[in-house]
Amino acid sequence: MKQLLIIALCLLLTPLVAAVGCDLNDPDGDIRRLFPESTGYKTSYRSIQREGGRALLNTIENRLGDRFSGLYETIDNPYTIYDVFSGTRKIGVIHGVNQKGRTGGIQIFLALDNNGIIKKLYLQRISSRNNRLYRAESFTNQFIGLKLEDFDRWNVARATGTGKVAAIRNPVANDPDFAAIMRGIKKNLILMKHFSQ
Amino acid sequence: MTIISAEAIRKTYQRGTEQIHAVDSVDLSIEQGDFLSIVGASGSGKTSLLHILGCLDNPSGGRLQVDNQEVFANSKAMPEKKLTGLRSRIFGYIFQSFYLIPTLTVKENILLPYAFKTQKPDPDAIHTVAKQMGLEHRLSHLPGELSGGEMQRVAIARAIVTDPKVILADEPTGNLDSRRSAEIAEILYSLNQDYGKTIVLVTHNPELATRARRVIELKDGKIV
Amino acid sequence: MISITKIASKSLLRKRLRSILTLLGIAISSWVLISLLGFNQGYERSLDDDIDNLGFQVLLTAKGCPYEAATLMLQGGAGLRYMPDTVIDSLRSMPEVQNLTPMLMQAVFDPMVGENGTVVAYSGVDPATFPKMKSYLQFEKGTWFSDPTATEAVIGYEAAELEQREVGDLILVPEKNVELTIVGILKRSGTQDDGTIFVPYLALQSIFEVQGKLTSVGIQVGKDVDVTAFEDKLYELPDVQVVSMAQVKSTISNLVGTARVMVMSIALIAILIAMVGVVNTILMSVFERYQEIGIMKSMGATAGHIFRLIWTETVVLCLIGGLLGAAMAYGLAAVTESLIRYLLPYSPKGSLVYIDGMLMLKSIGIIIGIGVVSGLYPAWRAARIKPIEAIKKSEGEL
Repeated sequence: MKQLLIIALCLLLTPLVAAVGCDLNDPDGDIRRLFPESTGYKTSYRSIQREGGRALLNTIENRLGDRFSGLYETIDNPYTIYDVFSGTRKIGVIHGVNQKGRTGGIQIFLALDNNGIIKKLYLQRISSRNNRLYRAESFTNQFIGLKLEDFDRWNVARATGTGKVAAIRNPVANDPDFAAIMRGIKKNLILMKHFSQ
Repeated sequence: MTIISAEAIRKTYQRGTEQIHAVDSVDLSIEQGDFLSIVGASGSGKTSLLHILGCLDNPSGGRLQVDNQEVFANSKAMPEKKLTGLRSRIFGYIFQSFYLIPTLTVKENILLPYAFKTQKPDPDAIHTVAKQMGLEHRLSHLPGELSGGEMQRVAIARAIVTDPKVILADEPTGNLDSRRSAEIAEILYSLNQDYGKTIVLVTHNPELATRARRVIELKDGKIV
Repeated sequence: MISITKIASKSLLRKRLRSILTLLGIAISSWVLISLLGFNQGYERSLDDDIDNLGFQVLLTAKGCPYEAATLMLQGGAGLRYMPDTVIDSLRSMPEVQNLTPMLMQAVFDPMVGENGTVVAYSGVDPATFPKMKSYLQFEKGTWFSDPTATEAVIGYEAAELEQREVGDLILVPEKNVELTIVGILKRSGTQDDGTIFVPYLALQSIFEVQGKLTSVGIQVGKDVDVTAFEDKLYELPDVQVVSMAQVKSTISNLVGTARVMVMSIALIAILIAMVGVVNTILMSVFERYQEIGIMKSMGATAGHIFRLIWTETVVLCLIGGLLGAAMAYGLAAVTESLIRYLLPYSPKGSLVYIDGMLMLKSIGIIIGIGVVSGLYPAWRAARIKPIEAIKKSEGEL
């Protein structure tokens, strides 16, 4: 009984103190759209703090090639992971991260198959003059089939890359939000690699 | 000087359809310093008489004067409030059951009458009385820790602490063994002899009765 | 050294368990009583605080739009009604008006959020008057606008989290393609301000091309102004609607009123039960002490003395029980509070259960009053005992 109370209290208080997470606005509809063959999903919450602490953060930052910064990219930031099922078979995972854009937050969701290959990029929210261009399929479809190893060849700090990622076209020349999206996707893939281990 | 004067005192009870004459035409005069013993068989009316003499109960008829005040005359009793004052001024009562208050100490029990008086107790009075009753070392005890004889001595101490003129005792040794009874008899005797208290005593105990100066016997409510 | 009070207090020790149980009964009902009175008082205060936090007692809006926020959400700003900003001059000339602050609400639909889009609302405020009225707003970082027409924004904490904004960052007004510079992020306040984007109203007027228009004016009236009369006067202005916080408060109070009546009845029942317990306890102890009381009467105790004795016992019981209950109420106020918060449809932010010395004194007074009343009958019964009856009863002889 006492334990139940404590858990209830924690659940009530957590959203007040923890940093803001990144959830699908309409998980039922969104998941059916991103995985048309899905029949159900399971939600879980992870944080770097809990999965491996400071050491894991260092590993992630090294692979990202950039440091986590700002008020909203913290070690205790909760990440929502949607495991997607068809019947009892897991067919993939959906995970979103917040990325700071030039004129507002960008919420970058990736639908990955069981091998960590991008099936779909979904920018749930992007405050930008050019948000239409970034959300257009002509832009997002370029990411289908890519995986973390491809993004290892993308330099987040300089916003340049080699290999497959070098071919991705910025829909708005010189717009910094492109670099932000690329960074967010790389961060998303790295986190997923660690969270799915 | 006469302290209690009773003329043709009657007390009748109704028990079912039967009328009982508990006290029947008793004439009695008690002088200050007297030691009167009332004896008689059970149901002879001696306790009823004592209650009337001690102003605890009103007679059904006759005339009663206490300390020169008309307590009962022409079928009219003194008002209750005045009666209470008279009782507390003139009388000290001792009963067969001791009626000590179990939550108060011996000292507090002895001083109980002062809870209802505006006048404060003389600071020495408690010690004087306690010494007189052989209770000096028992003052801070609770009644439950005392023997029967000690309890009755506390009751006597409580009766005399206000320095009443008359002590009324109703079977004071009724609950005690013979040794304790003798002790109490000695105390009453001494109160009369050494302190000049008027004592009216109701008892079955012949040994106790003989300590009195005067003994009257009651039978069917009449003095014989 | 011996007094009626002493006898009374000591006689309560005679049947300890019974006294303790009675005491507990009184303590619990006093606890309930004090907590509920504390709730009554605290709720009132917190509600007042909440309303004071709005900064103004009267909100003047354009006619047809009494609850602007709701309208904004439902219609994405399309249903907004305006009043000319000349209304400010008319208001300034009214002696009742102590302070006022013009406001302009604007909303824009952003289709590029999620699948269905969302409405983003902006609150245009006057940097000269608004901060003064909302003095409780505190900054996490930064400060208010540099200029009444600056394209700057001050945003609530949650808005900042959502948009990942920090002071110096930009924020885009969708559709209008205007970028605002964030100059301040507010501390979390627990109010709707947390999600609000504040912009100087003059800047907002030009961004949305509604120059010279306002959606509302917040008015602070003087202390001794009759708000009702003032409302009537405001209705003389053309095309306005008046929302006074007094109305809001009475609406909420009515909502909670039913719940309050219910809890007060529970308190009343608790007190009645405790009262019956007290009467029973004292009456039993009177019967048990029949002879003792008779003896006391024989040694000069008047009916008044005995009455006082028994009455004192009751009052002492109630006093101790009341104090105990008060201590419980004070110590457990937080528990009571969360319980009430859980039960109520709307609860203000501040502390709901407010127990101060005055309330405790009052409540203990009530409990003692109850003791005084409960003690009347047993005391009266005891006072009527005739010494002779008491003695005869036990001596068993005529």
